[in-house]
Amino acid sequence: MNSWKNTEISRRHVLFLKRLQAVRPNLTLLAVVLSLAAFSIPHSIGAQEENESSPHSTARLISEVSSIQPGTPFTVAVHFELDPGWHNYWENAGDSGLPTTIEWTLPEGFEAGEIQWPVPGRIVAYPLVDYGYSDEVSLLVEITPPVDLATGVDVTLGAFVDWLICETVCLPAYAELSLDIPVASGAPESDPQWVDVFRETRNRLPTDVDGWSVDAGLTDSGYRLSIEPSGERVSLPDSVYFYASGSSVLDHAAPQRAVVEDGRLTLDLESSAYAVQPVPVLRGVLLAEESGSWDAEGVFPGLEIEVPVAGAPAIQEPGSEATTDVSGPVGTSQGFTLVLALVFAFFGGILLNLMPCVFPILSLKILGAASHGGENRARIRNQGLVFASGVILAFLVLGGLLIVLRAGGAQLGWGFQLQAPTFVAFMAALFFAIGLNLMGVFEVGAALTRLGGRPGEPSGYGESLASGVLATVIATPCTAPFMGAALGFALTRSVPETLLIFGFLGVGMALPYLVLSLAPGLLERLPRPGPWMESLRQALAFPMFATVIWLVWVFGQQTGVGGASYLLSALLLVTAAGWMVGRWQRTDLRSGVVARVVSLGVLAGAALLVVQGSGQEAPLMAVEEGWLPFSQEEVERTLAQGRPVFVDFTAAWCLTCQVNERIVLSTETVLEAFRERNVALFKADWTRQDPAITAALEALDRSGVPVYALYRGSPGASPHLLPAILTEQIVLRTLDDVLSP
Amino acid sequence: MKVPAALLIIAVIAVPTASGVSAQMQDPEIGVDAPGFTLPDTYGNDHSLSDYSGMWVVLEWLNYGCPFVQKHYGSGSMQELQSDYGGKGVVWLSVVSSAPGSQGYYEPDEMNTVSREQGNRAAAVLLDPEGTVGKAFGAKTTPQMYVINPDGVLLYNGAIDNMPTTRLSDIDGATNYLVLALEEAMAGREVSQPTTQPYGCSVKYK
Repeated sequence: MNSWKNTEISRRHVLFLKRLQAVRPNLTLLAVVLSLAAFSIPHSIGAQEENESSPHSTARLISEVSSIQPGTPFTVAVHFELDPGWHNYWENAGDSGLPTTIEWTLPEGFEAGEIQWPVPGRIVAYPLVDYGYSDEVSLLVEITPPVDLATGVDVTLGAFVDWLICETVCLPAYAELSLDIPVASGAPESDPQWVDVFRETRNRLPTDVDGWSVDAGLTDSGYRLSIEPSGERVSLPDSVYFYASGSSVLDHAAPQRAVVEDGRLTLDLESSAYAVQPVPVLRGVLLAEESGSWDAEGVFPGLEIEVPVAGAPAIQEPGSEATTDVSGPVGTSQGFTLVLALVFAFFGGILLNLMPCVFPILSLKILGAASHGGENRARIRNQGLVFASGVILAFLVLGGLLIVLRAGGAQLGWGFQLQAPTFVAFMAALFFAIGLNLMGVFEVGAALTRLGGRPGEPSGYGESLASGVLATVIATPCTAPFMGAALGFALTRSVPETLLIFGFLGVGMALPYLVLSLAPGLLERLPRPGPWMESLRQALAFPMFATVIWLVWVFGQQTGVGGASYLLSALLLVTAAGWMVGRWQRTDLRSGVVARVVSLGVLAGAALLVVQGSGQEAPLMAVEEGWLPFSQEEVERTLAQGRPVFVDFTAAWCLTCQVNERIVLSTETVLEAFRERNVALFKADWTRQDPAITAALEALDRSGVPVYALYRGSPGASPHLLPAILTEQIVLRTLDDVLSP
Repeated sequence: MKVPAALLIIAVIAVPTASGVSAQMQDPEIGVDAPGFTLPDTYGNDHSLSDYSGMWVVLEWLNYGCPFVQKHYGSGSMQELQSDYGGKGVVWLSVVSSAPGSQGYYEPDEMNTVSREQGNRAAAVLLDPEGTVGKAFGAKTTPQMYVINPDGVLLYNGAIDNMPTTRLSDIDGATNYLVLALEEAMAGREVSQPTTQPYGCSVKYK
């Protein structure tokens, strides 16, 4: 008649023994303790044979339907019968106790939903208050069978259920349950044997009501929850109690004061002593205790609450308990004051002069000044000032542009320019052209040449300003990898502060040239101008070409080998254009003009190739062995399993990231240390724009890479950030500190 | 320094006797002086928190009958922590707040026997059958752990680790909050998680 079958498991003895074996070091000791515990328990009614694994309670797996249909979800329940005076626990057990867990063993393709918990009751053992169930309870779970399931056969659902059963003393209990159920092609029919149990349990599930106004705010000692029902039939209950879902959210024993006024119910809740900061969202069930229901018809007793708390600090992990981040992560922006940021920006700016993309330009600029050092000091000084203004102005404009774009909602961080393959390609072409120019392949009369400050040719103020701006633009690909973290910090500040930091970066970068132009005495110490300057100029083309290699590599990471080939072909056209201009530059006027026109056409072709190449998609990047692609959900799931997590936020265009990965993160010592501690490794690759990764970075208060975050293996664990420059020692020490023992 | 300490001792002795039965459950504040107390151990010697001024102190709420406690003693991990930190000069005190007749309560001699069987390596097992010290510390579960620094300031209150289960196999791989707090605090750093939700059996108060 009944097609389902509830199989009592005879393997319980085996399981019990297995558990004992896990304890080998102190088996006898455990036996002593267990027997002691057994003696202290008053043996109540009908001790049954299976009591060794599930004392004072029985669990069975029941189904709402007598047969299932492929693809149609159905509901099953773990049904508990508890001895009088004994109880088990809700999803938040309260001050003590343990929530029941269910581990499913299902046929392939089946999926089990979350446990649907009926509203609990309070178990008061003054001064402690627990949340749980007594007598009888069913925990509902929706199961979805696959669409392609074969009909006409039985399937077996298995559940390993683990719960704590307490009177005044507590005993762990478990059961391995299973249920056979036939698969039919027709719609599932409800099983008359359990229809009442399911109906009654559903009546005790929290109800989500639309249209009611529910608010939550902070008070001195906790939260204030306020509810205004809509609709006429509603009568506000006389006495209510709010069960919070998270365990360290509320003081479980504290009285909850309710006031009803003008059709609005206000409830004052006291925060848990174990809460480190208020939760951003209050979740739980509001139970109408005495009247037993929220509406006049007595339909639902528990109101599902999930309401943002006004004024609560945001926490990154949704749904996590309040025990998040108070730690001062290693090397974060905490304590990174504005003054310090300005100092960093200033010295960072000076350092930029040594970057391969900037060094040639700046040193030639200086040499240019040196070559006409004796001519007009006032003019040189003024030019120095103009050039410096150009640099600072360009930095301010770039910073402002970034602020505006971000205000417009773009998920961008510093280094964002390099996330656009087109930008990378044009920078590569520009650097390549500058390199050719330095080599002497061609000369152009405009800013590009002056940028290099051809020895002996004095230049105008306009050109000085332009070369300042251009030097900055050229410097940006270098600022991104080296200054990402600092500029990321800058972007988290107010607009004037951000611009100030960008400005200081400009001041730093302009400083060497400025000093030289203000103190021409220094210039005179440089070697006398001569043919060596031409050699140096050509030699400086090599750092330019090196930069091109790097940019092509970045472009290749973004667009694959196909894309990179387009870019290299574009560079060939740039060479052709440069050659044509150079070859016919000093011949008669007409050939010169023709050469320029043709070369412009060739350059247009190069641009076309770049655009074409930028559109290529890189093949899905093969993630290195041992590293998983980053996703916030996957990280949270891993943490929930108690496994520590390390996230490497990186990008191909970020030099610091690449260096860290090669000399630290991929060494055997470090990988072994990760393995030893069972750390799950995630790589968040930001080479191309990725809003999910940008959001994750922002949650960490960063807007650029590299960022390294280590999480202890616990749900909602707070991240510990490592410094931007890693050493093996730093990583190993942090692992020890954070994950010990 | 001496005078407040003496006053504290008087206060400590006075409070439990004066407040009597209806001691209120209180959650002590982190970062301020831990509630003072004087309790007898199983050999009849009194221990006051002020005796240990200048030393690190760990308080462990204990009930040998509780399966959550059995997890940590059964695996040997609790005893290991007791002897490890004992070796580093930390004063480890196990406190039993079970009321007479309830689970975990033993007469002093019996308690010594059970503690020997369990291999308890704490500096002392303190008896708090009235539950006054337990309530002053807001002890809700066994095991629940507290860390007090040499200045008598409470630095940690909460669970022993992040695996609220009775399974022995969950000891490995768990993050031990007590160790974390002790290591951070003893290295002079701020305790990153000064409070965590304690788990376990309820303390069997009177």
